[in-house]
Amino acid sequence: MASVSVHQFAPCITCHAWSPDQSMIAFCPNNNEVHIYKMLEGKWEKIHVLHKHDQLVSGIDWSRRTDQIVTVSHDRNSYVWSLEASEWVPTLVILRLNRAALCVQWSPKENKFAVGSGAKTVCICYYEQENNWWVSKIIRKRHDSSVTSIAWHPNNILLATTSTDGKCRVFSTFIKGVDTKHSSSGSDSKFGEQIMQLDLSHSWTFGIRWSPSGNTLSYAGHDSMIYFVDDIGPSPSAQSLAFRDLPLRDVLFLSERMVIGVGYDCNPMVFAADERGLWSFLRFLDERKQTSNAKYGSQLSGTFGKLYGQSKSGSNEANESSRIRAHDNCITSVVPLKKTRDATVTTFTTAGLDGKVVTWDLQKQQDLMAYLQG
Amino acid sequence: MANSLRLYLTCIRNTLEAALCLQNFPCQEVERHNKPEVELKTSPELLLNPVLICRNEAEKCLIETSINSLRISLKVKQADELENILTKKFLRFLSMRAEAFQVLRRKPVQGYDISFLITNYHCEDMQKQKLIEFIVQFMEDIDKEISELKLSVNTRGRLVATEFLKQFI
Repeated sequence: MASVSVHQFAPCITCHAWSPDQSMIAFCPNNNEVHIYKMLEGKWEKIHVLHKHDQLVSGIDWSRRTDQIVTVSHDRNSYVWSLEASEWVPTLVILRLNRAALCVQWSPKENKFAVGSGAKTVCICYYEQENNWWVSKIIRKRHDSSVTSIAWHPNNILLATTSTDGKCRVFSTFIKGVDTKHSSSGSDSKFGEQIMQLDLSHSWTFGIRWSPSGNTLSYAGHDSMIYFVDDIGPSPSAQSLAFRDLPLRDVLFLSERMVIGVGYDCNPMVFAADERGLWSFLRFLDERKQTSNAKYGSQLSGTFGKLYGQSKSGSNEANESSRIRAHDNCITSVVPLKKTRDATVTTFTTAGLDGKVVTWDLQKQQDLMAYLQG
Repeated sequence: MANSLRLYLTCIRNTLEAALCLQNFPCQEVERHNKPEVELKTSPELLLNPVLICRNEAEKCLIETSINSLRISLKVKQADELENILTKKFLRFLSMRAEAFQVLRRKPVQGYDISFLITNYHCEDMQKQKLIEFIVQFMEDIDKEISELKLSVNTRGRLVATEFLKQFI
């Protein structure tokens, strides 16, 4: 079994992030707060509640080196939290957004972070020492619809975005004074310059990620496809992989040749590339066969409750008993937990709309370990 | 006849399984708002192609999806005038109590008899399989209910007429 531990933190989890030492988890329980839990004496204890946003917190990222948490919310605000004497203190971020913020990620050097928004813009924020706040530069007029997911290239300059207009774009986010010019990176690019645009998907695109070396890009489309792009630049080569199951919401590169996709199937999917670089679907990660009657508790009122209750008992037993999985509802995010020295991930966690955080470990999966060493 | 009902319901069930992949999505038009995009229809890129499943000329089902909401509209078989009136009254009775059903829409979409609106919030609170089961069960029960109502109306009519005309014998 690949899943190591399952824990129900809340009725529903929107997004989650781990602390640098993996002892604490920060997540949003589908409201305007961020809860931080720590594992004390084998039990998860709630140690902090970050309460500053007015609406749903849609993105959380915890930086590795500077130990800061950045949160963005549907209320167009963002805060950077730092731990000062066991209290999390928010620092204001001037985002200048006029619609909801949908996703956030720290850059690899953690001197910038990017926010994707429903205003069809991407904000790149950097710290201004004089005023003690984070200011933003905005990439406008490039996206036709909301920016759903963003990912930083390891070189701290390139940023890839996905949007509900079905396209994937790569931008340069070079900021004078924050980034140092690399003479080896070729042409010096302006801020907001679009390096590449891919129109592979017929439907919305989510969950974009770069491979550990930055050579390959991967994102998921709502038409049950996953895309792998190599040679980012004027002539990229892309592979589109269609699968028979429900679409994915998020992807994660475990190594150069292995990708985990999570989505509406409630089961992580493993994709791997062979020696020639051709990607294919390997298998589902959770292969459990049990028959048990799980009790589904939910608050319902009146007539609907009665009819809903009827449907519970009258449902097709064959569907249920075939597979009881770790997750009951859609998995919304996948976050790496442990990285080996060569940046391959062997442990990762998934969180979903069922409120569970499941830890997966691939050490025991012999057939998958081969791809991790590649 | 029961066979075509099974096929019709299986088709609807499979379409709903694919269509019920909803997620929370804040409104692009108005800040700080969260509206069901399938009702709003202001951003065409957020809507998917509507699917129309017809059993025959009289019965059909329209499924419209968007990124955060799904609308299912049903047209129920109405063979004669009496069934027409009964269906209208019965479904109106249910629609007026839409709060109790949570996923029911108060007014049916133009050209249909009853509509459901399922949002991402319903998917977060309830199991997807159960929601689909509910819709399919509802469709089966509607047919049964209307037939029962029609039968009882006819029986009562016959009884009343017999009693009334007895005085003229």
